[in-house]
Amino acid sequence: MDADELSVLLSRCALRDQQAFKTLYQHCSAKLFAVAVRITRRRDWAEEVLQESFINIWNNAAGYNTAKSAPMTWMTAVVRNRALDLLRRPREVEIGEDHEDLMASIPDESPGPEELLKQSMEAGALVECMKQLTGEQQKSIALAFFNGLSHGELARQMQKPLGTVKTWIRRGLERLKGCLDARDI
Amino acid sequence: MKFANEELRNKLAAEYVLGTMSAHARRRFEINLRENPALRRAVADWEKRLTPLALALPDLEPPSRVWQAIESRIRPVSQARPGFWGSLWFWRFSSIASGLVALALLIMVAGPRLDQVPVDANRMVVVMNDLKTRNPAMTVSWQPGKSGKRVVRIRVIVHAEMAPGTAWELWMLPGEDQKPVSLGLITTHGIQSLILPAPLAAKLDQAEGLAMSVEPAGGSPTGLPSGPVLFAGPLVET
Repeated sequence: MDADELSVLLSRCALRDQQAFKTLYQHCSAKLFAVAVRITRRRDWAEEVLQESFINIWNNAAGYNTAKSAPMTWMTAVVRNRALDLLRRPREVEIGEDHEDLMASIPDESPGPEELLKQSMEAGALVECMKQLTGEQQKSIALAFFNGLSHGELARQMQKPLGTVKTWIRRGLERLKGCLDARDI
Repeated sequence: MKFANEELRNKLAAEYVLGTMSAHARRRFEINLRENPALRRAVADWEKRLTPLALALPDLEPPSRVWQAIESRIRPVSQARPGFWGSLWFWRFSSIASGLVALALLIMVAGPRLDQVPVDANRMVVVMNDLKTRNPAMTVSWQPGKSGKRVVRIRVIVHAEMAPGTAWELWMLPGEDQKPVSLGLITTHGIQSLILPAPLAAKLDQAEGLAMSVEPAGGSPTGLPSGPVLFAGPLVET
């Protein structure tokens, strides 16, 4: 299903068309669930994130703006933000370092951030531009994006000082932006 | 002004989208986001740049209980009679809408065709808001209860231009989970009217509201809205 078809489904959701919403869910939920599981690292949390995200999509379909972002981009951002909110909140308040332990215990049949980077063929220009970054920049950005790590968590995971990791990320993103802007992405 | 510096906006938007901010920083950032369109643009730009990465993740089917939970949360809205317009989406803007009914009445009363409207006649009015700006965009009104053909008067309040090769199509939303029904194509002109055949006219008084979608020239090829919905609003009897 391409972006235009998804846009049509979203505009029907704005008309409270439940059948269109169901079709949208059937087409997008597997991708979006993968995003949620990847970040939260817990199926139960990911299910909650997916549920809340789709309610959010249903309620805000009328405000979705085709000109501003592609449907999948918009929906992915909704899911990522929900997942990150959930991840950050209990982590800082309740479960402390559990998240990292969970991460360590995730069996490694799921591809690592760098493999994912290589696999994102659909991302075209983005991947081309990622290749222009240094290895550390690539790794820190991919870890942050796919695994939902904060600056502090990244520093611990990569066993580098916080300032160093922050600089990798900042410079990496700057370079990425320059490269994508030059390609008009 | 906060975040007046483009470089800073860009840097923070990138961190927000990448997801490296702490909970506290995210919350503070989101408050600013609500108030700052330039910051929202910077975030949208970064989402566009980075989100394609997520498409690399292999699909993962969620258990069916997730959809069941979602469905149970959206169902009650349409089964209880408030239907379409009982949704959060509508109530959030209903205060605007009710203010606008007054405005629409004022427009009609002050309008040049006052002499043609019997003073005691009820009118049905739909004030349609632009779904993006939330501002009133169009009103549609008619005299209810008559049998036979019916003239529906349309006022386009906003200044709008139709992209070449597209058309505006007006839809009746019958409610109760029924599909939208086309009332026909309209123009961007300030004042216009549509003549509805009797079967359509008969249903119009019971509709929940109206919506306008952008369609290919000649109207929707599917008989249902196929393009983005720009304006919509509930039906109100005055």
